[in-house]
Amino acid sequence: MRVWQFSEQPYTPAWTLPGAMGITIAPRHCDPARAGALLNRYLDEYMLADEVGLEIMVNEHHGTASCMSASCMTTLAILARQTRKARLLALGIPLANRTDPLRVAEEIAMVDAISGGRLEVGLVKGASYEVFMSNKHPTRFMDRFWEAHDLIVEALSNTGENFSWEGQYFHYRNVSVWPRAIQAPHPPIWMTASGPGSAKLHARFGYNCATFLSGAVARSVFQAYRESYEQTHGRLPGEDKLGYLAVVAVAGSREEAFRRAATMKGYFDTSMRIDPQFRSPPGFVPVDETLRMVKAGTNAGPLQMRNGQPLPRDASVEQYMDAGLMFVGTPDDVFAQLRQFYGEVGGFGNLLMMGQAGTLDHAETVDNLTLFAREVLPRLRELSLADCAGETSAGARERIA
Amino acid sequence: MIRDDAGPALLEGAERADIAGVSIELIRQGQGRPLVFLHGMDGLEGSLDLLRRLSRNFEVVAPSHPGFGASELPASFDTVDDIAYLYLDLIETLDLADAIVVGMSFGGWIAAEMLIKSTRGISHAVLGAPLGLRGPDRRRNDITDIFMMPAPAAERLMQVTERPDVNLAAMDTSRLRRTLRNREAVSLFGWSPYLNDPKLRQRLHRIGVPTLVLWGADDALIPPRYGESYASALPDARLHTIDRCGHRIHVDQPEQLAELILQFASTGRTREAKHARLAV
Repeated sequence: MRVWQFSEQPYTPAWTLPGAMGITIAPRHCDPARAGALLNRYLDEYMLADEVGLEIMVNEHHGTASCMSASCMTTLAILARQTRKARLLALGIPLANRTDPLRVAEEIAMVDAISGGRLEVGLVKGASYEVFMSNKHPTRFMDRFWEAHDLIVEALSNTGENFSWEGQYFHYRNVSVWPRAIQAPHPPIWMTASGPGSAKLHARFGYNCATFLSGAVARSVFQAYRESYEQTHGRLPGEDKLGYLAVVAVAGSREEAFRRAATMKGYFDTSMRIDPQFRSPPGFVPVDETLRMVKAGTNAGPLQMRNGQPLPRDASVEQYMDAGLMFVGTPDDVFAQLRQFYGEVGGFGNLLMMGQAGTLDHAETVDNLTLFAREVLPRLRELSLADCAGETSAGARERIA
Repeated sequence: MIRDDAGPALLEGAERADIAGVSIELIRQGQGRPLVFLHGMDGLEGSLDLLRRLSRNFEVVAPSHPGFGASELPASFDTVDDIAYLYLDLIETLDLADAIVVGMSFGGWIAAEMLIKSTRGISHAVLGAPLGLRGPDRRRNDITDIFMMPAPAAERLMQVTERPDVNLAAMDTSRLRRTLRNREAVSLFGWSPYLNDPKLRQRLHRIGVPTLVLWGADDALIPPRYGESYASALPDARLHTIDRCGHRIHVDQPEQLAELILQFASTGRTREAKHARLAV
């Protein structure tokens, strides 16, 4: 298993303000010097990840107080130069929010070239509230996404002559990507899935498939991916095709780890603070799906704890652990929890680890990443489904207890 | 693939019409001079009371706009221009003559986009709190941004008449589907530029038919000064403000609205010379 360090690069001083993090907090609340210091700190932590053997993942949600990364590629352009070994994953670029997908291809190619071919790119739908900043139409969002996707893949893969593009949404008289990406035909592509439907589609393309903070749902996502991949490609996918994103707090003692986890939990509390109109601008979700959601009632989220109860909005660290969104404890605890989850979902080859979240400060993040890389990572690298044979939830829980 | 636009059931009394290859939900009722009624953001179902009143004096022809209600949304449609051309086709297809075009809110915007292209078959226009004009200040929206507020708050902004909060979960499936389609269609045609066509103002001078612009004095969505700006850009228009009336004139003052339309339709053309010139 590979493990990827990930932070949303939050501007935590603004978290005491009321309102939706992503949209309504005005720039007058931002101290740019403080923001700059924080961004440099997060970059330092990414460089540490490279040193200790972790891979690197960055995201974007349009620059906000909960995620200052305005663009994945801006952050990765720096890390392409300043790191040596780590794979660099942009997960992801919200294509349908981009005015100019050709420029997305150009930035991918340039960062891949600078990094010596270490870039991996997630092409994603993105979060609903981003259309309030990009101002791109929420209607026909995925139609634009797929046309942008097609153009980017063709532009990156092109080893021949320039070409033109007169599509439904995008128009170019001369597609000519310079420099070319080092990785051929293009850097590995990732997509994200929160249910089996999209996982099947990603498998047909052969793209990597990640699922974020989805707990038990990950099992059905991975299962759908494996089946669809085998149908399409005639063989089962490697575990390296599948990724799971969760928060990890590890420390020398359980008490310390839980204290750390409580700090990191602020990520959940703030990211859920989105007013209803920003969660579902008309057209972003198809009418039939909205209709089903309205009829099902808005309180029934997909996340469940092991007893089948929905995860409450103000869940505790223990409840997040129970649902498979946080892994918390000593190195032995965290490995045991991850091994259990890995077995339950049928295996996956990428842990996308929020090793920094919420207000976890620099010293604690350094300790979290260092300890994880020294004590947990070597064991995860060796982990295979064969180790999990006979593993039961109860058995793993007993051992942790 | 089966067209998912087959969707909701038709409104009572509505029929399905093929207009230039687009399947449109259409209410036709009453007898007399033809009156083409173009509904607002609340869909055709929001104007049924007004339509009954108008049908006492006119042959009312009232379509659900593409993407609204039970009307098809062709994949190629994404601007109000597309709807305007479709309705010029509707006037030709139904062979309407001497018709009055009445548009409320979003429908007023469609009417304006039609009339700048052609007034063939049309004698009068009534624009009730029409959308569509870009304001003079690029740092300020003249139209309150309904997408930035919760749907119930936007709903309360629209009318002065008390109405209970819209409870989506309590609606039957057909009505819920209509409501969701109406919202999505407003988003498709009005997300950006926000409920306006930057090129409309420079073309309004082409509207040669007498035009009555109506505004609710208590319109909380768009201030009445926007109506003044609209009327002043039209060659033959007058602005009439209605008291105790919000943005949805058809909901707040349906009786008065029907009366104003009837009176206005019986006035003569005042700019025959200009029409003649434009026709050359």
